[in-house]
Amino acid sequence: MKKIQTASDLKDVRETITKNTRNGKTIVTLCGGTGCHASGCSTVISAFKRELKKQKLKDKVDLKVTGCHGFCEKGPIVVLHPKGIFYKQVKAKDVKEIVEQTLLKGKIVDRLLYNDPLTGKKITLEKDVQFYKGQERIVFADNGLLDPYKIEDFIAIGGYTAAVKALTTMSPERIIDEIKKSGLRGRGGAGFPTGVKWESCRNAKGSTKYIICNADEGDPGAYMDRSLIEGNPFSILEGMLIGAFAIHANEGIIYVRDEYPIAVQTMKNAITLARKWGFLGKNILDSGFDFDLSIVRGAGAFVCGEETALIASVEGKKGEPRQRPPFPTQKGLWGKPTNINNVETWANVPYIINKGSKWYSSIGTEKSKGTKIFSLVGKINNTGLVEVPMGITLKEMIYSIGGGIPEGKSFKAVQTGGPSGGCIPKELLETPIDYEKLKEVGSIMGSGGMVVMDEDTCMVDVARYFLEFLQDESCGKCLSCREGTKRMAEIVTDITKGQGKEGDIELLQELATAVKDTSMCGLGQTAANPVLSTIKFFSAEYETHIMDRKCPAGVCRDLYISPCQNACPAGMNAPGYISLIGEGRFTEALELALDTNPFPSVCGRICDHQCMFKCRRNQIDEPVAIRSLKRFIGDYEENGIDYPKIKLPTFTMPFKVAIVGAGPAGLSCAYFLARLGYKPTVFEKLPVAGGMMAVAIPEYRLPKAILQREIDNIKKLGVNIKLNTQVGEDITISQLWSQGYQAFFVAVGMYGDRNLGIPGENLENVIQAVDLLSDINLDKPVVSPAGKKVVVIGGGNSAVDAARTMLRMGASSVAIIYRRTRREMPAYVEEIEAAEHEGVQIKFLTAPEKIFGEKGKVKSIECIKMRPGEFDTEGRQKPVPVKDSNFFIDADIVVPAIGEFSDVSGLFTGLDVETNRDGTIKTDKHGRTSIPGLFSGGDVVSGPATVINAIASGERTAVTIDQYLTKDRTRKYPWREHKKVDTFFDPEAEPVSYRMQKPKTLLPKDRRGCFDEVELSFTQALAKKEAKRCLRCDLELELQEKLQKEKPLEVT
Amino acid sequence: MIEMSLDGIPVQVEEGSTILDAARFYGIEIPTLCHMDGLSSYGACRLCVVEIGKGENAKLVSSCTYPAEQGLLVRTNSKRVVTARKILVELLVAMCPSSKTVQDLASAMEVTQVRFKVDRTNDCILCGLCVRMCEEQMMAKAIGFVNRGKNRKITTPFDMKSEVCRTCGGCMYICPACELRCQGPNAETDLCNACLNVQPVCLKEEDNKMCFLETCGWCYEELGRKKKKMEKK
Repeated sequence: MKKIQTASDLKDVRETITKNTRNGKTIVTLCGGTGCHASGCSTVISAFKRELKKQKLKDKVDLKVTGCHGFCEKGPIVVLHPKGIFYKQVKAKDVKEIVEQTLLKGKIVDRLLYNDPLTGKKITLEKDVQFYKGQERIVFADNGLLDPYKIEDFIAIGGYTAAVKALTTMSPERIIDEIKKSGLRGRGGAGFPTGVKWESCRNAKGSTKYIICNADEGDPGAYMDRSLIEGNPFSILEGMLIGAFAIHANEGIIYVRDEYPIAVQTMKNAITLARKWGFLGKNILDSGFDFDLSIVRGAGAFVCGEETALIASVEGKKGEPRQRPPFPTQKGLWGKPTNINNVETWANVPYIINKGSKWYSSIGTEKSKGTKIFSLVGKINNTGLVEVPMGITLKEMIYSIGGGIPEGKSFKAVQTGGPSGGCIPKELLETPIDYEKLKEVGSIMGSGGMVVMDEDTCMVDVARYFLEFLQDESCGKCLSCREGTKRMAEIVTDITKGQGKEGDIELLQELATAVKDTSMCGLGQTAANPVLSTIKFFSAEYETHIMDRKCPAGVCRDLYISPCQNACPAGMNAPGYISLIGEGRFTEALELALDTNPFPSVCGRICDHQCMFKCRRNQIDEPVAIRSLKRFIGDYEENGIDYPKIKLPTFTMPFKVAIVGAGPAGLSCAYFLARLGYKPTVFEKLPVAGGMMAVAIPEYRLPKAILQREIDNIKKLGVNIKLNTQVGEDITISQLWSQGYQAFFVAVGMYGDRNLGIPGENLENVIQAVDLLSDINLDKPVVSPAGKKVVVIGGGNSAVDAARTMLRMGASSVAIIYRRTRREMPAYVEEIEAAEHEGVQIKFLTAPEKIFGEKGKVKSIECIKMRPGEFDTEGRQKPVPVKDSNFFIDADIVVPAIGEFSDVSGLFTGLDVETNRDGTIKTDKHGRTSIPGLFSGGDVVSGPATVINAIASGERTAVTIDQYLTKDRTRKYPWREHKKVDTFFDPEAEPVSYRMQKPKTLLPKDRRGCFDEVELSFTQALAKKEAKRCLRCDLELELQEKLQKEKPLEVT
Repeated sequence: MIEMSLDGIPVQVEEGSTILDAARFYGIEIPTLCHMDGLSSYGACRLCVVEIGKGENAKLVSSCTYPAEQGLLVRTNSKRVVTARKILVELLVAMCPSSKTVQDLASAMEVTQVRFKVDRTNDCILCGLCVRMCEEQMMAKAIGFVNRGKNRKITTPFDMKSEVCRTCGGCMYICPACELRCQGPNAETDLCNACLNVQPVCLKEEDNKMCFLETCGWCYEELGRKKKKMEKK
């Protein structure tokens, strides 16, 4: 092999290689990166080799095992060039089909194509995949094209042209100048300008200088350096050669961690090849410059990523940092000037030299130039490596490129920069990604790790995890880092165990700030970030852990009894009553359910069942049908269950309490107050009690008789409900005050309909959904929809309710128009499906423009098509109107259902109650308003929410009111204590998989024209069978403790 | 000569000296624990931190390692420095409450509380003085640090008796923690505050007197007095 000496040598070689290999051949590139190896690509590789040999295609098809392509989620990945056909998750058994269909016949194998989750379409070409589309790949661009073991591949795509240009035509000063102008900053995380570092090292005194490539990637979840070395090692060698020439270092070291065996091997091979071809060694490219490289394998200490610690490790000492100054560029390895850059920084250099600093600095933001590779991991659909220009927002990164959060869960936080980074919450998703902006929000760029967390993540637990990592990885040299991380971990662990104390948050902040301020190296200076950022953005979660001893996300095991109970706003003991149902002890089960919820029957029908989303049975087959089981015991009369006797105190509290609004919040508050011995009075402006439960929910979902029965049961406890009495009009709060009422609970809910804000809204037969539903429920006269065309506008539950009601009243056709997609529709999935079964048409991505009328009555409605546009911070795509896509829908009745608002202006005459901007009442978390003695809760405080939230709010406020009136904060509330049930459970029995039992429903044809309830109750046998599916998570802690007592762990 | 500002005072110091040297030369007291003249600077205890620079760029550095620079602005006693030092001492007391040196530092810095769980079994503060003493002055290298993070400790290779150790005792002589234990009674609280906060009678009478007694017994009396006070309350 002749060594390459000049530019024309390289050109000749390149032309020969291209001629030999790219003669119209099809190239099969197969990802051999670490991610795809984990998904089993090695069997696919051998299958391809076998199949190509069998079909005698070896000369016509080139098989290339490349480095990481980036889209690790869908690995193993196969791309067929030159067309760029993209196959995902290829298994060895698929290879035969690919070879026979695609390679021989040119047909596409449909089932291996990528399915776009947003549009549902199949994508054929790699460049059309959304994951790649949003990226701008420079450094990572060639990873999927070349075989990392062949230098010819690298040369064929233009490798080493930058080195030739730099070494033969540029002076070292010009190279440094070019790098400085490009604005390239250290990609290891600190972001120090690379050109400045090189210059300082070049100008340092001394003839012997070193350059080092820092490949000690230790962040949990980050693997871009590894993938670069494994996929394109030559670009790093080229960058180092240029850097060495500019700095005048004759020796270079690649410090790579030993946990990366493939990277070490690839790099070793690359160095040998580069030496062979004359890109390393003596007199490189005839420039008279000598440079050689060696590999030093690190033993895997996180702290050795810090440059002074890295140098100590290379020198054979304990990997510990030392205080800078002097900086390594002055006094580094063996006391000589040393320039250390990260893998990605070195890999950027050839591109800057080739294309110029002007091109490079045109990408990115003002202070952060170029692109950056991130490893997008955690709770995200498209796990993988992403290279994006600096300045792209986190929102785009997560929702557009990352494809959002799996299983439709909601985003909670993203942790950038590994363990030393901070957690960035939803509100800050608009933050552009660059060095300064990330620092501003309390995080760091770091080496580019990006861990996405969903709603099931507990932020205190996250802080604990990173602190534990850091206290193990801190070298322990300086007091602040060693003791600081240890003590922070200790305090946070206490909090997660329910042993937090008041003042812990302040102590953590004080300690974290001191650790940040006084630590010696980058590890300690950033070690406080996980704590500080989680406290900054999620302090409420810390407070709940410390004050209420609760973990809202259900992660800290010591703080909750079972996931379902933890998820329920009212904290219902679901495993308890379910196990009682399973043993046929229905009355006891109902008693337990009534303990925390006065409306088991209502909730059994219309609850949004948060509990079922967290049910662990879901990991085996399907969640337990908690809602239907609750309904089963709630319908006690129908199912032949005796109603339990609710225990009331023998005394009566000497305080008068007034409750305004007989909705779920008000009635719950009354129920719990009654159980404490009060005799509260509820004032309701409507002629019926029940609030929205009575007026907004149609009969077929919640029969009025059932609701009335539960309200009557509350009345029996001594609650007085005064109907047709509007507080503020018929009687004022001040008058009630003078009548001797000492505490007031305002729970008037949301009852004003939001306007559409489009022309034609005031026409006759445009009826607001809530008005329509309540008029029907209150038996007031309404426009008969019989034989008419109805259009409902909106996507919430009330829109679906209105549509289904109209259909039942004889409308000839009912359509719902909703401006977003089905995925984003807020109504319950089962309701949407039921509506469709009954014949309601739902037009997605459609917005109303104008309502047209004839003689003052609605005639038609003009709509416009929408398309999903930019993502918002919730991960929903903002609908954007499609130009000139207007169309008309005939309509006789239009029902807008786009939400409610509250109006409390008339309620508090003469009282100055603080309200929020959206009209809701301002309270603290206990329900106290700005006026002592006046409490509030339910929708009027929280905005539109669910029944169970209102019940929880009523319970909370009942306790607050009791504490306010008795002035005793130590009182015990019987329903708040966990009640163990004495049911039998065999912990040894493995659960047998059988699916959720579904209660019977009326057939769609029977539902039309009548308001009979659609869903029926469980039968006794079915209820028992379903109840037995419960895994009894509530016994977990108890059993664990028992086991530990019986068999103490012996450490040998 | 280098000109710089120390707590607002313009000073001149020799080239090659550290901020700590400069401060000590000008009589400004900076507490240290892991620093010892004659041994190399280590920067591990962080007690000697001072604030340099101004505005947003102001930062804390360890004065025992930071070289004096032309035009440097140094504040040895700013609020940021004092709060940081206090919490560091709090960490030290929690780590090694039996050390008299640490207790004295706490008293001198008016640390009034220890909010961390106190480890009463530990008697090493990992300042590394003994390691440097052994290596730099005794030319033995018999002991060193092993493990990292919370498991870090000082020991001989493989925890066995070192062959190069001449049992000179240099390590013990220099140790601020395990050797200089409080000889008085065990305080009931984490912070003792006995000997530094009281002036023994003998010194009250003759203020120039140097006392070399290990314990004069004054702290017994002082502690007893405190106890009685507590009981009365």
